[in-house]
Amino acid sequence: MTQRDIIVQADDIHKSFGTVEVLKGISLQAKTHDVISILGSSGSGKSTFLRCLNFLETPTSGTVTVHGEEIMVKNGKPQNARHMETIRARLGMVFQQFNLWTHRTSLENVMEGPIQVKRETRAEARDKAEAYLQRVGLEDRMHMYPSQLSGGQQQRVAIARALAMEPEAILFDEPTSALDPELVGEVLKVMKDLAAEGRTMIVVTHEMGFAREVSSEVVFLNEGRIAEQGSPGEMFTDPKTDEFRRFIAKAM
Amino acid sequence: MNPFEILAQYWPRLMDGTLMTIKLTLLGAFIAALVSPGLALIRVHALPIAQAPLRLYISFVRGSPILAQLFLIFYGSGQFRPVLQEWGLWSFFRDPFNCALLAFALNSTAYQTEILRGGIIGVPRGEIEAARAIGMSRQKVLRRVVFPHAYRMSWPALGNEVILLMKASALASVVTVFDLMGRSRQIFSRTFDFSVYLWAALIYLCITAIFVLLWRQAERRLSRHITARDKSHGTVPPLKETRP
Amino acid sequence: MFELLSYGDAGWGDEILQGLAITVQLAIVTLPVGLCLGFLAAFASMSRLLPLRYLGFGYTTIMRGLPEILTLFVVYNGVGLLMNAVLRWWAPDASPTDFSPFAAGVVALAMVFGAFAGEVLRGAFQSLDLGQVEAGRAVGMNDRQIFLRIQLPQLWRFALPGLGNLWINMLKDTALVSVIALDDLMRMTKVAVGVTKQPFTFYLLACLIYWVMCVLSELVLARLEHRANRGIRRA
Repeated sequence: MTQRDIIVQADDIHKSFGTVEVLKGISLQAKTHDVISILGSSGSGKSTFLRCLNFLETPTSGTVTVHGEEIMVKNGKPQNARHMETIRARLGMVFQQFNLWTHRTSLENVMEGPIQVKRETRAEARDKAEAYLQRVGLEDRMHMYPSQLSGGQQQRVAIARALAMEPEAILFDEPTSALDPELVGEVLKVMKDLAAEGRTMIVVTHEMGFAREVSSEVVFLNEGRIAEQGSPGEMFTDPKTDEFRRFIAKAM
Repeated sequence: MNPFEILAQYWPRLMDGTLMTIKLTLLGAFIAALVSPGLALIRVHALPIAQAPLRLYISFVRGSPILAQLFLIFYGSGQFRPVLQEWGLWSFFRDPFNCALLAFALNSTAYQTEILRGGIIGVPRGEIEAARAIGMSRQKVLRRVVFPHAYRMSWPALGNEVILLMKASALASVVTVFDLMGRSRQIFSRTFDFSVYLWAALIYLCITAIFVLLWRQAERRLSRHITARDKSHGTVPPLKETRP
Repeated sequence: MFELLSYGDAGWGDEILQGLAITVQLAIVTLPVGLCLGFLAAFASMSRLLPLRYLGFGYTTIMRGLPEILTLFVVYNGVGLLMNAVLRWWAPDASPTDFSPFAAGVVALAMVFGAFAGEVLRGAFQSLDLGQVEAGRAVGMNDRQIFLRIQLPQLWRFALPGLGNLWINMLKDTALVSVIALDDLMRMTKVAVGVTKQPFTFYLLACLIYWVMCVLSELVLARLEHRANRGIRRA
C-alpha cells in the first residue's frame, strides 16, 4: 500500500466570537481519497470549523496546513492575503445556500474561477466548465441564470463550480440542508459519485445515510470538541459516547 | 468680521426668516395634506380616463424644477393681469408669499398623493374584506381601515416629503420672500460676510433635526400596536390591544 | 406665438436651445463627479475606521439637510473667497479671479448628488448577498476581483432605481444655477421674458422642456433597469 499524502491538516483549532468560544481545540487530518463526514447538533461548531479550513473564518489559534503549506496568522488576520488566496483556490467549497453569482449564467459561474484566479484562457475554461456541468447532469441548463434553476440544480452548478478549480479537496457545508426533501437525492448522488472517484472530501452534514455509507471517517463534534471519531461502521453500530448515541437516536 | 458678531447683530432678522421658512413649509404641507387623500383615492380607484388629468398634473409637477414652477406662477400670472384683476385675484398673485405658498402646495400635493397612493395600495385585501364582512359602509372602511393603515405605511415617506418641501422653500427667496434664505442673502449682500450662510445652514439643520425627532415620536404613536407586538415576541399576545 | 419661438433674430428658439445645451452639459459633467463623491461617501460610511465613518455620516447627513440653493451660494461665494485668499497668499500681486458659475454649479450639484448617492450606494452594498462574496473568496478571488466581478455588477441592480431618481432631481436642480448668472435654460428663458413680456408662455415652455428631459430620462432608466435585472426572476 502506498503512503497517501496529507491534503488538509488542522491542529488544535480554537475559535472565539467575542467571549464565546465556539471551537475548543480541534485537530483533523484529511488524506488523499478520504471522505470525512463531520456530524454534530446545531451549535456544535461544525460549520465554523469547516470555514476555518479555508480561512473564511480566521482561527483564534491553531494552524491549518494544506499540502504542507501553512497559512500564517498575525494579529488575527492571515499574514499574506495572496498566499491565503492561492491556498483557497486549491480547496473547493460548496455552501449550504449555494451562493451562486446571480448575475451570471450557470456556465459563467463555473468559468469565473478558472479565468479570474487560475488565469486560464476563456476557451480552456469553457471546455472544462461544459464538461463539469455535463458531469453533474446540467448540460441543458448551461445558459440559464441561477434564478431559473431549482435548488438542487443550483447546488449541482455550485459543485461544478468547485470542481472546475480542480481542487485537492472539496469542503461541503451542509450542502443539502437548504433543499426541499425531494431535491436532496440528486445532490447526494453527485456527491456519492465524487467520493467513488476518489475525491478528497470533508462534508458537514445532517444526512446520516451519507455519513454511514459513503464516508471513510466520521467525526462527531459536541460543544466545540471532537467527542467521537472513527470509521462509520464502528461508530454507528457501537457508539462510545452517550452524546453520539443520543445524537444518532434522534436523527434516525 | 467675527462670525459671532454677525450673529449678535443680525439674529433678529435670522429668526424672522426662520419663522417665515417654518410658516411656508407647514402651511404648504398642510394645504397639500388636505387635498391629497382624495386625489390618492382617485389615483387608486378611478377609471384610467378619469385619472388622466391627475396623472398629467403629477407627472408635470414632478418633472419640472420647482423654481420654474414658482416663476410660472409668480411672473407668469402677470401675463393675465387684466383677467385676474377683473376676477379680483390680482392682489393674491401680486404677493410673492402667496405665489410661493401656492407653488409649494401644488408641488407637495403631487408628491403626497403618490406617497399615499402607495400606502393605500399596500393595505392588505383581507383587512378590507374583514371590515366589509362585519357590515361597515364604504366610507367607514376608508376611515377606519384603509386610511389608518395607509398613513401608517406612508408616514416616513411623508416626513421626508415635508423635509424636501422645507428645503425647497428656500427658493422663495428668489422671488423676494424674506425667509431664512432670503434674510441670509440680504445680510450677505450688506456685509459680504460669508459666515451668515453657515449660520443659515446650521439653522436649517436644526429645523430638520427637530422635525425628524417630532415625526418619529408621532410615528411611534401611530404604530404602537406594532412595537407592542415586537416587544411581546415569543410570549402570549396581549388580550386587549390598544387602539392606534 | 410661433414666431416668438422660431429660430434666428426674430424668435427666441436659438437662445433657449443654447441655454438648454448649457443645462445638459452641466448635468452630464456633474454626474460622474457626483457618482465618485457618492462612492467615496459610501466607502467612508462603511469603513472600519471610526473617524472615516463619522466623516461619511456627517457629509451625507449635512448635505441632505441643506437647501440646494444654500449649498450653491456657499460654494459659489465661499469657494470664490477661499480661492482668492489662497491666491493672495500664493501670489500677492495677482489680480483676484472669479470662480466660474459653471464650476460652482458642478461642485455644488455634485456635492448634493454625492450625499444622496452615498446613501443609495451604501444601501445597495448592504443588500448584496454576502454568500456570493464568500463564494468568491472560496475560489480564491482577491478583494479587488470580488468587488469588480461580483459586487459592482450586482450593485447597479440595487442602486439604479435610486440613482435614477437622483439624476432626475439633479437635472431639475440645475435650474438653480440661473440664480448665480449661468446662462442655462432657466436664465435664457428669463432673458426672453424680459424682452417679450410674455412670462407665462416662456416659463411654461421651460417647464415643458425640463419635463420632456425627465420623461426621456425615465424611459432610458427603465431600459437600463431592465438590463440590470438580467438573470433575476422576472415577475
